[in-house]
Amino acid sequence: MNTPENNPLPMMADGIASAADSQLLFTHEDLERAEDRSRVVAARAESGLFSRFRLLWLLIGPGILVMLGENDGPSMINYAATGARFGVGFFIPFIILTFVMAVVVQEMTVRLGAATHRGHAELIFSRFGPFWGWFSLIDLAVGNFLTLIAEFIAIRAGLAFFGVPAWVAIPGAVLVLFLAVLSHRYWTWERITLAFAAVNLVFVPLALAAKPDWNSVGRALVTWGPLPGGITSAALLIILSNIGATVTPWMIFFQQSATVDKGLTRRDIRFGRIDTLLGATLAAGAAIAVVLVTAPLMHLRMSVENFQAAEFANALEPVIGHVGAALFSLGMIEAGLVAAITISASTAYAFGEVARKPHSLNLRMKEGRPFYSVLCLCVVAAAAVVLIPGLPLVYVVLMVNVVAVLAMPPALLFLYMLANDQEIMGDLVSPRWANMLAAGVVVLLIGAGLLFGVSVLAPGVFASWAHP
Amino acid sequence: MAGSEISINRPGASDGGILAALEPDQLTGAKHQRLPRRRLKGSEILLLWSLRVYLLFMIGVVVYQVWTSSR
Repeated sequence: MNTPENNPLPMMADGIASAADSQLLFTHEDLERAEDRSRVVAARAESGLFSRFRLLWLLIGPGILVMLGENDGPSMINYAATGARFGVGFFIPFIILTFVMAVVVQEMTVRLGAATHRGHAELIFSRFGPFWGWFSLIDLAVGNFLTLIAEFIAIRAGLAFFGVPAWVAIPGAVLVLFLAVLSHRYWTWERITLAFAAVNLVFVPLALAAKPDWNSVGRALVTWGPLPGGITSAALLIILSNIGATVTPWMIFFQQSATVDKGLTRRDIRFGRIDTLLGATLAAGAAIAVVLVTAPLMHLRMSVENFQAAEFANALEPVIGHVGAALFSLGMIEAGLVAAITISASTAYAFGEVARKPHSLNLRMKEGRPFYSVLCLCVVAAAAVVLIPGLPLVYVVLMVNVVAVLAMPPALLFLYMLANDQEIMGDLVSPRWANMLAAGVVVLLIGAGLLFGVSVLAPGVFASWAHP
Repeated sequence: MAGSEISINRPGASDGGILAALEPDQLTGAKHQRLPRRRLKGSEILLLWSLRVYLLFMIGVVVYQVWTSSR
C-alpha cells in the first residue's frame, strides 16, 4: 500500500488509507479493476512456491504483450529479409542487443505506470503542457497508423498462403480484433491476446526444423560477424529496421497505459520487470528463429519487397516442408493480429488520456464509447487502406520500422524526463545506471539514424566500406 | 472526465471490501485531478527542439528515399 512518505502524488497527501475508506466516487471500471487486484492481494497474502507462481501469473501481461506485440508483421518480415539477405552472422547478436535496449526503455514505463497510475500521454500533457503533448501524440498517431497498415499487409500475406483472398482475410482479422475487445474486461482481453501471442513462438521449432549450422550461430555470437558485403546502404537500412523492429514509441505508450489499466502498484514493480524481461526473452528467441529459418534462402536474394503475398512461405517449402511453411504463415498472421490489437489499444488509450475521456478496457461499451470508437476507427481505416487496389504499400512495409527508430529519440527524452521527475516519481526516480543506459540507447538511435541519412543523401560514402 | 456517460456510484457495503484492493489514486474519480505542470529548463527546451528538428529532417530523408526508389 502506498504511504504519503513514498508516494508524492496529491491524492496520497490526504493520508487516505484505502479507496474503500475514501468518499471518492467510483465507476464500473474501478470495480472490475478492484476485483482483479483483490486476487493479487489474496495471492500475496499466501506463502509458498505455488502462491509465488500464482502471483506472477496474475501480474504478468503488459510486458509480454508489448514485446511479442512488437514482434509484429513488419518486424517479422524484416527478420525474414535479414536472414534471407545476410544469413547467420552479425544480426544474431545485434537482435539480442536491440532487445536489451527494449528492456531498458520499457522498464521505465513500468515504474512510471505503477508510481503515477497515469498513462504516458496524460503525463506528457500534464507535466510539459499541450504544445509538447500534441507533438508526441501526433508522432504516435501517425506511426501507429502506418504500422497498422503494415500489420494488415502481414495478415494478408499469411492468409494468402492458405488461399484466402484479401477481401476475406482483412475483414476477418478486423472481426477477431473486435471480438477480443468485446469482453469489456482488461483481464479477459489480456489473456485472449496473450493466447494469440503465444503462437509467435511457432518460429522456434521451425528454426530447429531448418537445421541451422550451430557452429555459425556460436561464432556469430562471439565475433558479431560476418556481415556479408560489409557496411552498405542496404545493410544500414536493415540495421535501422532491426532496431525499429524492437524499440518503438507505441511500446512506451502501450505498456504504461496497460500497467495502469491492469492496476499495478509500487509493490508490483518487481513482477513488472520480470514480465518485461520474460517478454523480451521470448520475443528475441522468436526473432532469431525467423533469421535462422530464412537464412537458407540467401541464394534467392529475397528482400522485404517480396512480402506482398506469400513469397517467403512458398520459398521456404523446400527447406521446412509444406507443414513448416504453413506454420510460418500462421506465425505471420499471428504477428500482424496481436500487434493490431495492441497498437490500436495504445492509440485509443492515448486519445482517452489526452481528451480526458474514459479510457480502459474495463469500460462497458456505453461508458467507453469514445475509447472504443477510436480503437475501431483506426483499425477499420488501416484495413480499408490495405484493401484499396494498386496502392504502393510496399514502401510502408519498407519504411515503417525506420520511421519508428527516427521517432524514438524525442519519445525517449519525454520518458527520460518523466522517469527522473521527483515530484511524480518520489523514490522511484531512475537510478544513475538506468539513466546511463537510457542515454546510451538515445545515442545509439540517433547515431544509427544519422548514418542512415548519410547513406541516403551521400551513398558514395559507404561504397568504400563495402567489400565483395 | 467521468461526465454523464459513466455510472458513478458511492461505495456501498458490498463494494467497500473489494474496493479496498485499490489504492486511492487508482480510482477513476481521483484521476480527474490533473497533475501540476512542470517548468521546463532552458536546456530541456533546447534538447526538445533539437530532437524535433532532427525528426523532421530525417522524415524528409525518408520521403526522399521513397521518392528516389520509386522512380
